[in-house]
Amino acid sequence: MRRSITARLVLMFALCVLALFAVIGAVLYGVLGRELTRHQNDELNTNLQNMRYSIERFGDLEHWARLQVKMDTLTPADGSVRFWVLSDDPRFLYGKGLDEMERVNQGEAGHGMLTLPISGRTYRTLSMRIGALAERPPVRLIVGVDTAPFEHTLRAFLVALAVLTLGAVALVMALGWWIARIGLRPLQRMSEEARSLQPRTLSQRLQLERLPVELEDLGGAFNGALGRLEEAWQQLEGFNADVAHELRTPLANLIGGTQVALSRPRSAAEFQDTLQSNLEELERLRSIVNDMLFLARADQGEAATGLTSADVAHEVEMTIEFFEPLLDETGTTVAIEGELRTQATMNIALFRRALSNLLQNAIAHSEPGSRLVVAITPQAGATWIAVTNPGKTIAEAHLPRLFDRFYRVDSSRRDAGEIHGHGLGLAIVKAVATMHGGATRATSANGATTIAFSIADAGRTP
Amino acid sequence: MKLLIVEDELKTAEYLQKGLAEQGCAVDVAHNGVDGQHLAMTHDYDVIVLDAMLPGIDGFTLLRTLRQAKQTPVIMLTARDSIEDRVRGLHDGADDYLVKPFSFLELLARLQALQRRGRAQEPTQLRIANLQIDLMARKAWRGAERIDLSAKEFALLAVLARRQGEILSKTAIAELVWDMNFDSNTNVVEVAIKRLRAKVDNAFSPKLLHTIRGMGYVMEARDEPAGEMPS
Repeated sequence: MRRSITARLVLMFALCVLALFAVIGAVLYGVLGRELTRHQNDELNTNLQNMRYSIERFGDLEHWARLQVKMDTLTPADGSVRFWVLSDDPRFLYGKGLDEMERVNQGEAGHGMLTLPISGRTYRTLSMRIGALAERPPVRLIVGVDTAPFEHTLRAFLVALAVLTLGAVALVMALGWWIARIGLRPLQRMSEEARSLQPRTLSQRLQLERLPVELEDLGGAFNGALGRLEEAWQQLEGFNADVAHELRTPLANLIGGTQVALSRPRSAAEFQDTLQSNLEELERLRSIVNDMLFLARADQGEAATGLTSADVAHEVEMTIEFFEPLLDETGTTVAIEGELRTQATMNIALFRRALSNLLQNAIAHSEPGSRLVVAITPQAGATWIAVTNPGKTIAEAHLPRLFDRFYRVDSSRRDAGEIHGHGLGLAIVKAVATMHGGATRATSANGATTIAFSIADAGRTP
Repeated sequence: MKLLIVEDELKTAEYLQKGLAEQGCAVDVAHNGVDGQHLAMTHDYDVIVLDAMLPGIDGFTLLRTLRQAKQTPVIMLTARDSIEDRVRGLHDGADDYLVKPFSFLELLARLQALQRRGRAQEPTQLRIANLQIDLMARKAWRGAERIDLSAKEFALLAVLARRQGEILSKTAIAELVWDMNFDSNTNVVEVAIKRLRAKVDNAFSPKLLHTIRGMGYVMEARDEPAGEMPS
């Protein structure tokens, strides 16, 4: 189930109120209980002192009879206050159910609780001993107060408290729902605004100044995402234009060449020449399309398959060997440096493809007779392969974009005799690195350019 | 070689039929899966070239049905270079596959490789006109003169000589000689061929190593000695 902010807020409000009422209720309940006990004890004390005074003063039977009447009078009809007098002399006894009393109340003088077995009523009691006087033996005076009204009060209080709490929780939930609705209204406004963004106007952004402070971060992040999308979109559009441009040249050559060939009667040799020229252009088209497909697959997150553990230096050597005819021709030398015993998990064909693109660039962009360096460096979970060639320093601004498709440092170089390559070489290097969980980097300073790619140690890391 | 081409794209089917017929193959063509399956099941072909996407019965289904009855070698043509297609095709019993757009030369090379598969062991001595190659000793002579070649130069010569009369693209040469399995947009192969030609051909006659512009290279003894343009 999806979570609702309103429901969460309402629930949290309700829990707060519940906790608050529980604490307050517990404290009030404790205070009330103690106060009621104190009140009962006061009542017990008053009655006890009153009776004690009357008993202590006289020791004869005549006064005892009067005392009994007095205790009868003080005992209310509902029996909420009771008096008992216990003694060894049967004449000086008082109270109902004395046999029971003898059995249950064996405690010393002072406060106690007492439940009468027959009536089941519970009394809070206070008792004391009174010494002998004249005919009267020592007696024990007990005063009891029924606790039923006391408990009743406490129960009533609890019920009231519970009802009040439930009511308050319900009320707060209703209020909380209303508050949440009002509080979340800016969010609604924001989504309405987001909904009104048009796909055609990519530069449109959310109006941050109209948003409350708390939503500014979200709005900012959203606008940031929009900005990145716009950039990617523009790149894609630029890329499409580049592709179209790359394809246009060979297409124009094909169409023009064929039209010229067909416009006059020609010999078989001339037609053959045209067809051969066409084939060259078509091969160029095929190569672009294949490379584009390869890049598209890398873009879709396809990881390198067919991974094997390989000796990096050996693969570098094998790739350099491929270039040997070209290196011999230009008098260029290649040195392998760095950690030569490095092993790496790679798709060998892809690795060679990436490295051969780098070598090809390095040879093309350095003077004949130069010394190129391929450096192998294990570093933080990846192996870096860097190709350095002496040559014109590339301006800082170009470096991060070198791996972009069809990006050329010198746009005029497009036609400056570069028969091979179509501006996808370094993009493919980057794609190979990505497929191996690696990265690329380019540096250029003091007449030396280094372009490097890495492959993660355990193949692709997600 | 008797071939069946199952391909619904008319232009593709047409040029394949023409090109392969000119290579001396007997070619049947089917433009949909149903006809293709019927032909494949009722005739004995040396190789079947099968498009994966076909109307009627698709290529994979056709292949599975065929494999229950026959072991005719099959080359699959797929439009997308997706791993799943490849795996699926090879799992279903295809012997090879080509991704569109493929070059005709590549198809020709694969067909020849499939045909070669069943053949007996290769010879250790090759002879083209007065060029003699000893594959075991890794030595080559032009007439009586020994030609001094580096290891890779010899490998290149051997690759070309083994397939004499067969046009090899630069990509195929890079793969066979240097194990570079991709379209490398370099002129390495051109340079290597130029150097090999300087040693093997330049001082001798007849010329054996020919450039087919736009396609690649072929080694063969040709009748006419002149008119070849080295690239």
